[in-house]
Amino acid sequence: MKFLAIALALVGFTLSGLTAQAASEPMRVTVTGEIMDTWCYYSGVMGGPDAVVGSAHHTCAVWCAAGGIPIGLLTEEGEVYLVLEIEGEGTAGGSDTVLDIQSDKLTADALLYERDGFKYLVVEKVVANAGITNLSHDDFGVVPGFAIPESVTGG
Amino acid sequence: MKKILLILAVSYLPFKALAADAESQARSWNLTGEEKARFSAKVVDILCEVSGKCAEKCGAGSYQLGLLTEGGKLIPVNKNGQTSFNGAVSDLLPLCGKTVEVDGLLVGEEVPAKLYQIQLIKQEGQDWAKANRHTKDWKEKFPDVDGKGPWFRRDPRVLSILEKDGYLGLGEEADKKFIEENY
Repeated sequence: MKFLAIALALVGFTLSGLTAQAASEPMRVTVTGEIMDTWCYYSGVMGGPDAVVGSAHHTCAVWCAAGGIPIGLLTEEGEVYLVLEIEGEGTAGGSDTVLDIQSDKLTADALLYERDGFKYLVVEKVVANAGITNLSHDDFGVVPGFAIPESVTGG
Repeated sequence: MKKILLILAVSYLPFKALAADAESQARSWNLTGEEKARFSAKVVDILCEVSGKCAEKCGAGSYQLGLLTEGGKLIPVNKNGQTSFNGAVSDLLPLCGKTVEVDGLLVGEEVPAKLYQIQLIKQEGQDWAKANRHTKDWKEKFPDVDGKGPWFRRDPRVLSILEKDGYLGLGEEADKKFIEENY
């Protein structure tokens, strides 16, 4: 019987991390962080995470947002939130609003939903926008290196 | 003891459905934490799934879509199989609400928080198809855009933002200084 109880406890623990969680009540939060490109950040396709945020990666972040790649909000503590909606507008359509805030440091009042390891934000109001504060191009140049076309650089 | 083993086996099933898959035909991209994964899942509007707030037609392209596995796990899909900054909404939107087979890469370091890059999709009764609709949809969305070169160099939304804020996002003077010092 003890073995069975332990097994059931293990099952419960396992399922809590791996299986369905119904739509849940959100937590209201105020978060501050940089709006960023989640694909390059998670995949490492263009280098380490420090190289794919801030001014170094601004053009690429705009490209990815225009392509419908999910945007995130990266806090100073390194937490990434996937942003599903900003002030009533979905973030997958490459809207001018979404493109305009790429790489900016925002403070947002939002609803937070957590599911299967991810934190999802519905931003109800952008409280402040400090613009681009991470001047990562000082350390990394532009990432990717072709972000600025040769017709502009003269290369 | 048999019961215990059975229970543990059942608990393992949802995880097995997403483990590295020998049947996968996905191409490696040498990405962080990359695992090939072929599995069956329902295409869902992520916001609808997590909050119950469901837009018409799965958001009609404005909302991020994901995959809900048979084990009930919600996986965000970040990327399709194309190489140039293309998301996966164009590939998934026509299938929203349907259960399909997908093949691609789970990406990222932290388990269970891995994103998915979808490379192939199979609808019931059909052959596997490449997940590469984004560029075609982009051309339909911007039929008047002329010129050659990749879509992201010609996209009017992108060009407008870059003209306003510059390639670094810091304005024209910052771009000029950077280019002078580095090219």
